[in-house]
Amino acid sequence: MNTEIVFLFLQQGIASGLVTGSVYALLALALVIVFRTTDVANFAEGEFYMAAAYLAFFLIALVGLPIWAAAPAMVVGIAVAAGLFQRVVLRRVAAARGVSVNLVIATLGLSYVLKGFVRATGFGDTPRSFPSVVPDGSVTLGQASLSYLDLAILGAALAVMAAFFAVFNLTRTGRAMRAVGMNRRAAQLVGINLGRTERLVWIFAGGISAVAAILIAPKLLMTAEMGGVVTLAFAAAIVGGFASLPGAVVGGFIIGIAENLVGLFVSTRAINVAPFVIIMLVLIFKPQGLFGGRLRVRKV
Amino acid sequence: MSVRVLAAVAVLLIGLSLALPALATGYVVYIGNLLLVFVVLSLGLHIVIGEAGQFSLAHAAFYGIGIYTAALSSKVLGLPFLAALLAGGLLAALCGLAIGILSLRMRDIYLALSTFAFGEAMQWVFLNWTPVTGGPNGLAIPPAQVLGQPILSDKAAFPIVAGVTLVVVALVAGLHASGLGRAFRAVRESEVAAAAVGIDVRRTKLLAFTLSAFLAGAAGGLFTTFSTFIHPDSLGFQTTILVLTMIVVGGVGSVTGALGGAIVFGLVSELLRQVPSYQEMIYGGILILVMMYAPRGVFTLVGRR
Repeated sequence: MNTEIVFLFLQQGIASGLVTGSVYALLALALVIVFRTTDVANFAEGEFYMAAAYLAFFLIALVGLPIWAAAPAMVVGIAVAAGLFQRVVLRRVAAARGVSVNLVIATLGLSYVLKGFVRATGFGDTPRSFPSVVPDGSVTLGQASLSYLDLAILGAALAVMAAFFAVFNLTRTGRAMRAVGMNRRAAQLVGINLGRTERLVWIFAGGISAVAAILIAPKLLMTAEMGGVVTLAFAAAIVGGFASLPGAVVGGFIIGIAENLVGLFVSTRAINVAPFVIIMLVLIFKPQGLFGGRLRVRKV
Repeated sequence: MSVRVLAAVAVLLIGLSLALPALATGYVVYIGNLLLVFVVLSLGLHIVIGEAGQFSLAHAAFYGIGIYTAALSSKVLGLPFLAALLAGGLLAALCGLAIGILSLRMRDIYLALSTFAFGEAMQWVFLNWTPVTGGPNGLAIPPAQVLGQPILSDKAAFPIVAGVTLVVVALVAGLHASGLGRAFRAVRESEVAAAAVGIDVRRTKLLAFTLSAFLAGAAGGLFTTFSTFIHPDSLGFQTTILVLTMIVVGGVGSVTGALGGAIVFGLVSELLRQVPSYQEMIYGGILILVMMYAPRGVFTLVGRR
């Protein structure tokens, strides 16, 4: 492989990696905000995303909505469903025995229910493609080529992240979320409604996952297993430190670029195992991630 | 698990070993074998999650290591059944020890994710290490050798599988009642308090992790006595979740719960095999409902009343 091709691959890998990475970053963001505020690793995150893609597909193909109406309806639907899950299931689980293992298992249960439900509709097993609203065509940046769809994905993902960061950092609601993440009891003492704040976090997480789904769905084939992409989001969150929002975003881009470079330079088969190797390496050598700050010793 | 329950299990297993091969059809005996393998698997996961309170999501990987090791050592080295089973268990234990050393510094979600990543990476290895595992074509398992005789059917295998399972149940029940079992539970309840009464927390966790991997590997060895084929598809996260579901539904921390959960849920999973979408929905639904209304497991729920 001569240097010219290496350079070309590098450019293309980074450009495509930024696009897929932006979607991983969104999913990682949804994981991290839930983990930070409610201490739950949401194993149903991938299925939120999968269910969102199918809900949009059903709204368009079966109900006959145009895509500009279906997309927001779907985002709202998934966000509300995530909020309901918190309200109906997680609150009850926490009350029954509030250890985080039980909450995690409940999210695992939800992931299976959603997968089974999509499969039972009969549309889950044959891969389907999703219509794109963006016209075909591409632009060339340096020597890398990106389609209009790629640019739209990257732009929309960045816009959603910016909007969420604004909410999280600048509004009262966002401050309540951060407070709950720091110290639940103290947050409650100063008058924050814990249940409502946690529900809002789940609603945001659901909405963000739904946006990620509508962005990337036209590029991927839809199956009931498409939620498996969440392992890349977990890898991204871990690279970023799992409790850091900017970390999740940067981690998403790192994972996206790493995935594309592995695909170009090593082999497409190696892509499948790369995220797990990254998760293990980061956890073993730098478990606090890039943005997790210093390792904290928990005192009793 | 009380001595009385253990005796009942022993009587049941010995009775079934005598009666089942004579009375039941091959398929029923096959299900019996499979359920017993699930019992060993869930007792293994019970040690690490139920007793020691550490999350492990790599159980199917250790199970797979046991299956491939036992099958290959029987095929290539011609080892007899028990040696092959122990080889599977030991190699799985060794891998468990290595992963444990690396990841047991972490807790909760980090431990869950690192073991999850190891499990997925192992499934990838099973799928891509074609010269050894047969890769996506799967691997034909040679008949196990017991006292120089090949085991050729499910019916012939059942008494052996039942015998090994009985030994494992007795050992795990003994472990639960032993000082080591109490050390495990002390670590589960509070690492600080455990350390304060002189328990080496790190070593205790490692031991639980290694023992759990050993039992998963041994379950893999048991599987090779009656099965003729293994494919990496059945060694993924889904299998880990199935076993996790068994111990969660049965009651985390209870030996009887792990045993009962394995039997009941193994049957449910086998009955629902024809309708995978409903299988997933029912698994998921059961997990959610148990977590909501019986977080200590359905068997402990019955026992308390």
